[in-house]
Amino acid sequence: MKKFLSLMLALIMVLCAVPALADVAADIEAGQAMTHEELVEKALAESGTFVAYGTTSRIKKAAAAFSEKYGIPQNSNNMKDIDIYDKIANENVDMVMIQDGAQLLGAIEHGILANFVPASVKDSISEHDQYPLAHQFTNKVFIYNVLGDDVPAIRNVWELTDPAMKDRIIFKKPTDEQVNMNFLVMLTSPEWSARLEEAYKEWKGENIDLGSYKTAGHKWIAEFLPNCVFGKSDTNIAEEISQETAEGKIGLFVLSKLRSSSVYAENLMPAQYAASAEGYEIKPFAGFMYPIYNMISTNANRPYTAMLFIEYLMSEEGFSFWSDSIGAYSGNSAIPEKEGDLPLSVWKDTLVVEDPEYILEYGLDVEDFVGPYLQ
Amino acid sequence: MEQTQTGKIHLSRLKGRARAWFSKPANIILLFFLVTLTVLTLYPLLSMLTETFTVHLGREERATKLSIGAFTTYHFQRVFATSANDYSWIQFYKPLLNTLAVSVTSSVFAILFGGVVAFLVTRTNLKYKKFVSAVFTFPYIMPSWTLALFWETFFKNVNIGLKTSNGIMASVFGVFMPEWFVYGFFPISLVLGLHYAPFAYILIGGILRNMDANLEEAATILKTNRSRIIWKITLPIVKPAMLSTFLLVFASSMSAYSVPVFLGSPVRYYVLSTSMKSLMNSYKGQAYIIVAVMILFGVAILMLSQKVTNSRKQFTTVTGKSGQISKINLGKANVPIAIILVIVLLLVAIVPLVTFALESVIIKAGDYSLSNMTLDFWIGTGLEKRLDQGDSTGILLNPVVWRALGTSLALAITCAVIAGTSGILVGYGVAKRRGSRLSNWVNSLSFFPYLMPSLAFGAIYLAMASKISWLHGFLLMALAGSVKYLPFASRSGVNAMLQLSGEIEEAALITGVPWWKRMLRVIFPIQKSSFLSGYLLPMVSCMRELSLFVLLVPTSDTILTTMLMQYSEKGWAQFGNAINLLIIIVVLLVNFTVNKLTGASIDKGVGG
Amino acid sequence: MPEIILKNVAKRFGKFVAVENLNLNIESNAFITLLGPSGCGKTTTLRMIAGLETPTEGRITIDGKVVFDADEGINLPPNKRDVGFLFQNYALWPHMTVYQNIAFGLENLKWDKNRIRTRVNELLKMLKIEQFEKRYPSELSGGQQQRVAIARTLAPGPKVLFMDEPLSNLDAKLRMEMRTELKRLHRDTDSTFVYVTHDQLEAMTLSTRVCIMETGVLQQYAPPLEMYNNPANLFVADFMGNPTMNFIDGHIKADGSIEFGGIKAKFAPTSGSQPGDMDVVVGIRPEYIHIDEEGAMQGTVYSTLPSGMETTVKLDVNGTTLTAVVFGDVDYDVDSQVSFSFHKAAVIFEKATGKNVAKGKLIV
Repeated sequence: MKKFLSLMLALIMVLCAVPALADVAADIEAGQAMTHEELVEKALAESGTFVAYGTTSRIKKAAAAFSEKYGIPQNSNNMKDIDIYDKIANENVDMVMIQDGAQLLGAIEHGILANFVPASVKDSISEHDQYPLAHQFTNKVFIYNVLGDDVPAIRNVWELTDPAMKDRIIFKKPTDEQVNMNFLVMLTSPEWSARLEEAYKEWKGENIDLGSYKTAGHKWIAEFLPNCVFGKSDTNIAEEISQETAEGKIGLFVLSKLRSSSVYAENLMPAQYAASAEGYEIKPFAGFMYPIYNMISTNANRPYTAMLFIEYLMSEEGFSFWSDSIGAYSGNSAIPEKEGDLPLSVWKDTLVVEDPEYILEYGLDVEDFVGPYLQ
Repeated sequence: MEQTQTGKIHLSRLKGRARAWFSKPANIILLFFLVTLTVLTLYPLLSMLTETFTVHLGREERATKLSIGAFTTYHFQRVFATSANDYSWIQFYKPLLNTLAVSVTSSVFAILFGGVVAFLVTRTNLKYKKFVSAVFTFPYIMPSWTLALFWETFFKNVNIGLKTSNGIMASVFGVFMPEWFVYGFFPISLVLGLHYAPFAYILIGGILRNMDANLEEAATILKTNRSRIIWKITLPIVKPAMLSTFLLVFASSMSAYSVPVFLGSPVRYYVLSTSMKSLMNSYKGQAYIIVAVMILFGVAILMLSQKVTNSRKQFTTVTGKSGQISKINLGKANVPIAIILVIVLLLVAIVPLVTFALESVIIKAGDYSLSNMTLDFWIGTGLEKRLDQGDSTGILLNPVVWRALGTSLALAITCAVIAGTSGILVGYGVAKRRGSRLSNWVNSLSFFPYLMPSLAFGAIYLAMASKISWLHGFLLMALAGSVKYLPFASRSGVNAMLQLSGEIEEAALITGVPWWKRMLRVIFPIQKSSFLSGYLLPMVSCMRELSLFVLLVPTSDTILTTMLMQYSEKGWAQFGNAINLLIIIVVLLVNFTVNKLTGASIDKGVGG
Repeated sequence: MPEIILKNVAKRFGKFVAVENLNLNIESNAFITLLGPSGCGKTTTLRMIAGLETPTEGRITIDGKVVFDADEGINLPPNKRDVGFLFQNYALWPHMTVYQNIAFGLENLKWDKNRIRTRVNELLKMLKIEQFEKRYPSELSGGQQQRVAIARTLAPGPKVLFMDEPLSNLDAKLRMEMRTELKRLHRDTDSTFVYVTHDQLEAMTLSTRVCIMETGVLQQYAPPLEMYNNPANLFVADFMGNPTMNFIDGHIKADGSIEFGGIKAKFAPTSGSQPGDMDVVVGIRPEYIHIDEEGAMQGTVYSTLPSGMETTVKLDVNGTTLTAVVFGDVDYDVDSQVSFSFHKAAVIFEKATGKNVAKGKLIV
């Protein structure tokens, strides 16, 4: 009995022992200055399976191709950002592709994730997108159904606050996906509030009366959300709005969903496409945009492989898994958008891009403010 | 000198007692499970409770201005007492009211529907009984989202919800159902009630079948009319079964997530589980408080039902000569009742399957013409080029799907073996030491995992596993699944053991048969079908489990259900429907095969 | 005073025949026992009279009122037949107290509260269960439950009382006691009792008439002592009496000379006529074989079972075993030789049919 107990104890101790963390930060420091060849050499010297998780499903294809190219065994998966953080907290992960910059900043601050900019592509990435490193941008834009007599071809977002738009706008519940909430938070920033005020004046022909609202952003949110119906997922929203029976409906969802074969893309029109074609502007924005960041996990077993993979993803070859369709824009300015789509620069001008610092600072208040309008 | 002498005697007597205590296998088993279950259920619960006082990464840090891991009461303040922007009302109180309404309604509905059908099948000469009892457990065998998904695709129309498209009811039959019927409180309660009605059917039917019909006849002779017999005799006697059903359905409905999401979100009808899920993203502490509240409600109902059933009005189900009881003649009502029942069952059990099959072959939603149909999603190749969507091959040609199916089966079998065997052992220990405190403790502990919402259970297990380096992937999932489904196995184990007279084992004991041989050769064969049912139910549940495993899978294509979830999140509806159908078919096949080969059935697993 | 008449009653479950062509006339105030081995159809018969089971054919009349007639499509439900029924397992409602159990039937009759109270008290007292009034059935012993069940059945004062093996779940001592009480009850309540049992002793001791059945067919319907002394056939003879009757194969000639088990004798009928030349079975009750020195026949003592009041002796007579009962506390040495003689009557059954052909004296 005694023997059994001591054996069990020993076993438990062995099993609970946590492997010592390698000093990933130092490796990244060194890696920033390395050439491609040096990175390859270091990466190949590492052992174990390379683990990468991402909020985009195509990470699996990219990682598989990368693995084949360098002969490195990999395990990659697509999951939600919140689940990725859970995974990092509980197991060794090398590299992640993650959204929601605000959360990410916190993770970097706590040394959970680390930023890395490959030397080989550094010059073609704008300063702003280098920290944290934006691999690509995803845009959720206003897209409407073109059928029927009452096509909501909006030119001003205040049109969406009209009581006549009640139940005609389909959006994803902001609390279901943080980037949607971030978009709303950004609207309360001085910059976007000012632009919303301006747009209001243009729409109504008079100055905005804020009433009890703190900013024009608050007012817009408070009048926009009650007109929305919340869909399950962006794909589902795209499918539903593209139906012949969905005339008069407009949605705010991921542009790339237009490529799905289950979507009747011919029934849909992104508001900004119409604007660009006919030469007008959507006042003051045509949707929003957020980066998907490439990050190295500080509990990585293969930090150099992670760096090499990031370098790969930032290259044209690595981005090819996304570049075949509209709605994906590389952080590497040398890589052009998909033919037929608008260039990233145009989108950057007309979409609300998330500012992690601002969101971290003011996000909580706005989220509380949004709550009642989701009921 | 004398003192040491007595001391020695005392000690040796103690030793002797301990040895006697440990020489009984039942004691060792109970002790083992007391320790194991404490570690596997109470420890996660405690660690979850500490999370409710802890600051987590991200927004919680900003809000509390404290660092990660610090102690805080912020979460409690937010959940229970923040009136600004109606925060607590929106996040907690209103969803709580909705949850209670849904849970109570679905429980009542399940009891009514399951109970009435159980009565019809056991006590009347209803026609098509065989079909009814064969199909009635289908809704439980199928994943719960199945019915919700079906409900929406069948009844949705352009006047309600997203107001974008028409389901089969509107487009084919031209019937536009009102919003309350398709979304919100009513359909959520109804679908959950339908899903769990088999519990009522099995538990109430079990009592009705075993109930001494003389009890009713005695009342008839004493000039009691039919309705008074049902109210005063039959109902009070099946009351314990109704209470057990209430407990099971209430706890399950409370933690149900996919059904309220499918049928509630479009009309902004939120319940605790949806609130918990969205808080889980950024406010873990608050999410765990909501989980704790759900568990609290479950425990309260458990205690209530124990109190009621443990009273003096003990319900002995001595079977008299009920075997020769003539069934109630439904007369002219027989055929209409039977037909209505068959139609309802077809609607909830068969039509969804047909719908999934149909949805898995059409290319664009809503167009059911032959030109819009293809078998590509099942057996096609090179789909990337042709369909620009989803995987490159149909699911039956996709090795990943087959691997996931294999893993799902392996996982289900592993969980079933562990949970089932533990259930038998727990049943043995509990029955042998019936009435002792140790036995009561183990019995309650083994039921406890049932009251934990799957999603939270998975989250807690993931956190627990992070401290143990080898515990991840398949092992972790198997462990979580085994513990989560132990309640089913232990229930049937305890029931089976209680039915077995102690003398049967004692007869073997006298002749010196060792314990393991007594279990294997004597006890197991006698209650074989009950025990095997204790294996079957965890297996079936495991096959179709999603929320529990969603956080624990190494990759989303590890098992079929997470793969399905990923597909439907991506909007690869046809692949999703195909996999859903595949899951249901496999589960039905497993259920059917095990049933035919061994006589085990879901019924016995629930303890009927 | 109700009289129950069964005419050509039959009950079939599919191909299985539970009761076949049963004719029975139960006089008012009788205490009738339906007796037979398990599966003989006695419970089914009882349940058919009570209305708990629907006969396939026939006609049942209670107190002049037709309660069932297959041809006319009459089938009164049990609650319209004014009967009481005592179940084998008592069928007490577990969720009601003793008081509630007894009062339930009276509430159905819309009695007022005070009247119910009085009646229940009367029954509680009569059956000596006053102190259990507030208890639940699970808190009572088998005997107490039995009394509650009787009280509940008697409460509305039924004129016909059916009992389905009501004593079979009690221990021997309690059973004896309850028998006495049931017989007394029959007298006090002035009603007709129909009682089902497989215990011949119960049937013998309790009833005014016994109806003995085998595989759904009535064998004999007679007062118990008559049935004992003059059984209609081998089955009845074998079923009634303990220890059972001696049956010895033999042959009788028309002149009354009979040979059985190596014994030659002369048969003188006391009832019925002298049977003709045929193979027979001779039935002799054990107590009619007397062991005494003057006995004309000899046998070897095979075994003895003395009980104090009487001793059962097994004798070996030319290879045939005979059972004898000797009254008083006597015993015999095993393997000793004894003489014995036949007294009173023997019954002659026709070997081929098992039918009772004559009853009479055997003169050796």
